[in-house]
Amino acid sequence: MRPAPPSGRAVSLAKTHPLRGFLPVRTEPLPSFPLATFQPPASLNALQQFDQACSILRNTTRASNPAWYQDALELNFQLHIRPNGPHISAFYWDGKKSQWSPGPSFTEEILGDAAKLEPVLTELLRHARAHGASALGVILHIADEFATTELKPELNNPASLPELREAAISDPASILEDSSILAAQASWRVLPYPAAGSEVIGTTVTVTRQYESLLTTLRQIGENANFPIITQALSAPLVALMGLAQSLVPTPDKPFVVILQYPWFTALAFFNEFADLRLIRTLQHRGIRKPTNFHNALATTNASLEFVDPDLFLMPLGQDVDTTLDGTLRARFTNCRIEVLAPPPLDGIPAWCPEPVIAASPPPATPTATSHTLSILREDRWALQDFLPTPREIVEIYPDRSEMRLLRWLQLARVALVLTTVLCLAYFTMGMIDMIRRPEWAFDVLQASAIKGRLAKLNAERQKVDHWNNLLEDRSKAWVNMESLARLFPENGGMLVKSYLHSAKPDSAPGQAKVGFIKEWKILGFARDEALETLNTLNTREGIAAHFSEIARITGNSAFAPNIGNRNITINVRTQENNSFKPVPLEESSTADESTYPFTFDLTIIQRFEATDPMALNVPKAP
Amino acid sequence: MHLYRQPIILFGIVLPVLIATAIIGGGYLLKSQMVTSFDNKQKTYKTYEQGRLAGLEIESQITRQRHHLDRWNEQLSQETASAVATNLRKIAEHLPGKEIQQTAFERPNATGGFGSAAAQKSSQLRIAFRGTYRTLQRTFLELETRMPQLQLQDFQISPYSTQSSLLNFQVTYTAWEN
Repeated sequence: MRPAPPSGRAVSLAKTHPLRGFLPVRTEPLPSFPLATFQPPASLNALQQFDQACSILRNTTRASNPAWYQDALELNFQLHIRPNGPHISAFYWDGKKSQWSPGPSFTEEILGDAAKLEPVLTELLRHARAHGASALGVILHIADEFATTELKPELNNPASLPELREAAISDPASILEDSSILAAQASWRVLPYPAAGSEVIGTTVTVTRQYESLLTTLRQIGENANFPIITQALSAPLVALMGLAQSLVPTPDKPFVVILQYPWFTALAFFNEFADLRLIRTLQHRGIRKPTNFHNALATTNASLEFVDPDLFLMPLGQDVDTTLDGTLRARFTNCRIEVLAPPPLDGIPAWCPEPVIAASPPPATPTATSHTLSILREDRWALQDFLPTPREIVEIYPDRSEMRLLRWLQLARVALVLTTVLCLAYFTMGMIDMIRRPEWAFDVLQASAIKGRLAKLNAERQKVDHWNNLLEDRSKAWVNMESLARLFPENGGMLVKSYLHSAKPDSAPGQAKVGFIKEWKILGFARDEALETLNTLNTREGIAAHFSEIARITGNSAFAPNIGNRNITINVRTQENNSFKPVPLEESSTADESTYPFTFDLTIIQRFEATDPMALNVPKAP
Repeated sequence: MHLYRQPIILFGIVLPVLIATAIIGGGYLLKSQMVTSFDNKQKTYKTYEQGRLAGLEIESQITRQRHHLDRWNEQLSQETASAVATNLRKIAEHLPGKEIQQTAFERPNATGGFGSAAAQKSSQLRIAFRGTYRTLQRTFLELETRMPQLQLQDFQISPYSTQSSLLNFQVTYTAWEN
């Protein structure tokens, strides 16, 4: 009778797995889900590739949810599934709350029947969403099979480990000694032997692809639900070895062997005195609870590795593994320190199922054992290698994270570009509308010609007016001259005018549009003593200018204005004694009697108007 | 990997930028052409407006002076000598006959005075009077006001006799003609 399932909802399989080992177990199709219509980009042209990338951006959360591009173990909400042969255990890990809880029930019957699997997976999604998770990491701890395959001896170079690690994924046949392997049936990952003195640099751990369709189905469900379900298939023994740093205390300077007891196989890991791995081998149980040749195998391997009485650490990793093994070992290996390792108890996780805790937890702050091997198993992720990753052709369907970011940024850039373009066009359009709405835009050029002709006609008319205005200017008038003469020699002023001559004649300046002119006054007369002062006053520039100004003001005749335009006045007064003067008493003298004036005078005034004076004469004929 | 990078860059930004550049460039080109056309129209319109305003201003000036011009044209179209004689007769009717007496009226054939410098058609008139100073001044004022085309060329005043208040006046005018 099998023991009751432990906490964590591990469910017993009906019987031993019929096809354990390298061959895939499941041959019937898994539950079908709507497959994405996306095509491999290599089969598309550039425009179709871009269209598909945009479709992925629009219809998936790959741009906004970084979980699509994270490892399962990096996600906050994880489902750990651990098939170990008789049982399939499942546990949820809520990283935010640091809390483990029982997972859904999986049985071989459920996994083999699409109708039964679908509600379980639907519930899985609902549970993850109910816990506020934006993604689900599904970590499969494969504990029902473990096998090693040797590397080709010619590749025994420690420096080539990185290349070997890549080649194990992309082209395993090129590195394996067994040339008959079929890559479609199993998955290989390199495991290094870091211990000094190892005959080989490492080995490969082999896992069949029996769970590949389950993980594919899970990923497809995630794709269809637009909810990231990230899967990772780990080899449970490797994870258990990675966890030794928190449970094993080796004897100093002594090699040790870790015996991993799984229900269907026992794995032996041989470490040297520096806790570095030298060899790992597996012994299949083949239907019984322990391998038949276990003691001999342990002893001969110890001998071949020249291990003398190594410490033996037992790790029971199954609910119903052989619990008498430590006793038989003590009886056989009497000089060896034999210890059963018990991981620290954890609520919700049975002690025989430590791999989920080891994988999900960060490295211990205070490890009980330290070595290069224990260090690189976690840091270089040798123990966390994904045996059943998403196929490359599926991964390549989707843009990678940097491409999605680029696509998203360029989408924003295009929006900005469209806005810029629209703004520019709006600016141009507004400018054009502004132009069209102005009267200048609708202006008829013929109107310009018409107004030009009309303006020419008006100008001609104005020129005619200006011409006649110029010719008819009051530049020389007799009555104004008489007013000037009368005011120059006022009555009873002691002067008698004998003759008055005035002339106005133009300058001779051929070829000019305007010519100036000269006005000349010549006055002869007689003067008494009291008039001499008046004559002297006149005979100055200021005196004659004052007289002309007065005449201009009184008559309104601007020709006499001395201070405008470009004109000047000169005066010359010459007085002489009157030869015919006869002195008589003043009361007897007559104003008309020339002989009563002691002096004669000769007064000449010349007023010159330059061609630039406003009164200058127009030479051309009237237009 | 990075299978999508080139298409994303090509169709995601390069092509849109080219299209946007082409659209903006096209818009800019269209607007530039419109601006060029508009500038030409604006220049023409500005010229038109300036011409229109100048025309209005000239017209307002001319309108104010047009009746003067009409009157001048009418006067200038008359035969000068007869017009002067007519005006003198009309002026003399309002003046005392003893204070003004026309003693000569000549029409020299030679062109002189202001008429010799201008291309405008003109003629000369020489008129002699005998009379008092103020009466003759009034006569000249009337005559020159009525006939602004008369430009004084020569003017002589001399006493008639020592015992009289009468004086001899001789004026020579250049008369503009149309």
